[in-house]
Amino acid sequence: MRYVDELRDPRLIRAVAAEIARLTNPDRHYRIMEVCGGHTHAIYRHGLVELLPPNLELVHGPGCPVCVLPMGRIDDGLALAEQPHVIFTAFGDMMRVPGRRGTPLEYRARGADIRMVYSPLDALKLAQTHPDKQVVFFAIGFETTAPSTALTLLKAKALGIRNFSVFCNHVLIVPAIRAILDSPDMRLDGFIGPGHVSTVIGCRPYLFVARDYGKPLVVSGFEPLDILQSILMILRQMAEGRAEVENQYSRVVPWNGNRAALAAMAEVFELRPYFEWRGLGFISQSALKISEAYADWDAERRFEIPGVRVTDPKAAQCGEVLKGVLKPPQCKLFGRECTPEHPIGALMVSNEGACAAYYHYVHRLTVAGRSE
Amino acid sequence: MCPTEVHPQLALYGSCTLDHDGCVTCGDLAIPVLVKEIQGNEALCEDRYGQQISVVLDFVDNVRPGDILLVHLGIALARIQGG
Repeated sequence: MRYVDELRDPRLIRAVAAEIARLTNPDRHYRIMEVCGGHTHAIYRHGLVELLPPNLELVHGPGCPVCVLPMGRIDDGLALAEQPHVIFTAFGDMMRVPGRRGTPLEYRARGADIRMVYSPLDALKLAQTHPDKQVVFFAIGFETTAPSTALTLLKAKALGIRNFSVFCNHVLIVPAIRAILDSPDMRLDGFIGPGHVSTVIGCRPYLFVARDYGKPLVVSGFEPLDILQSILMILRQMAEGRAEVENQYSRVVPWNGNRAALAAMAEVFELRPYFEWRGLGFISQSALKISEAYADWDAERRFEIPGVRVTDPKAAQCGEVLKGVLKPPQCKLFGRECTPEHPIGALMVSNEGACAAYYHYVHRLTVAGRSE
Repeated sequence: MCPTEVHPQLALYGSCTLDHDGCVTCGDLAIPVLVKEIQGNEALCEDRYGQQISVVLDFVDNVRPGDILLVHLGIALARIQGG
């Protein structure tokens, strides 16, 4: 295949959809989780649910780092931003994520020196040009984003830049998958594995899903045909009584991942014994902290962190949606109190959140259709 | 008016472009780019619409002009196999 048109060819898509229908048994229900928020968006954007048999349910996973970060960690970060002589840097996506006393944008309006950066390397450059300030980078993201933080720390040490530190909130996708598999209210038949996270970690870390839990996992691309083909590969495994890790996205994802990126991560990060995930609770060894060798660049050691814990609003059912127990519109607040303009739960704040995706691609169209 | 696609084949490796790079914290939406020129440890690259970016090459070896890279936060994470 040379062009994207082939991955959106209606003829091919219909053929794969027909094969999916043929392989599903009408007498049973199928639940397949797409782990990654990017897949959730692609599924809604391309209307793929409409092509699937009604007894095949796609369950949205925890694949949005903003959504799973507890509000307390945002408050901790913003407490750093309020320190004198600190320039607090974060990705644009974080700017409207609320802590208890407002978003980073609102803190900035109140006088905190908070700056948007495209990359942690930009934050490091700020530290070089502002030697009289302490520059803190709010690091967040899965294994696709962690290598850029790792590279920045390697460069900070090599260049001896001492007025730079990282407030590390990187989380790992594999322990989250394990937590979901261990959850008693979760019954899944298979997983659509994340595409680009896997360019870094490869496919091997998922082997336990097949070996220990007997579930198929297929690493998938993001085009409509990629996702449908991955679903078909999962169904084929089930039909043949197999449970394996397969790589549908082999045109991008190497089986062993990116060794140089993994080595950089191993140098600057250590596993946290446990970390709290919004909606999933505490998961052991599910997040990264700065290693001893890079302790001088660890904002949690350089500054006093309040260690705030904030419980989510009781009415918002983010946890159930994150675990795939509820669909977004089944939450009591969805589309009424909680909208992308006025988000209450984390899944509505971030564009990649399942609720925001559902709101943009399904809810608005449904409401518009009703008012016509 | 829609911008003209200069390198339509890049969309095969993800729909993101430098202007529309999804949610960077998610990062599961890296940007496919075409390498135009190597400049030391960086590569001058173009996205699907010809917009240019300088990409850090610490994590991908032996990059050459014509390669397709998957980029996140200005750092190359993968070279497309056979791209």
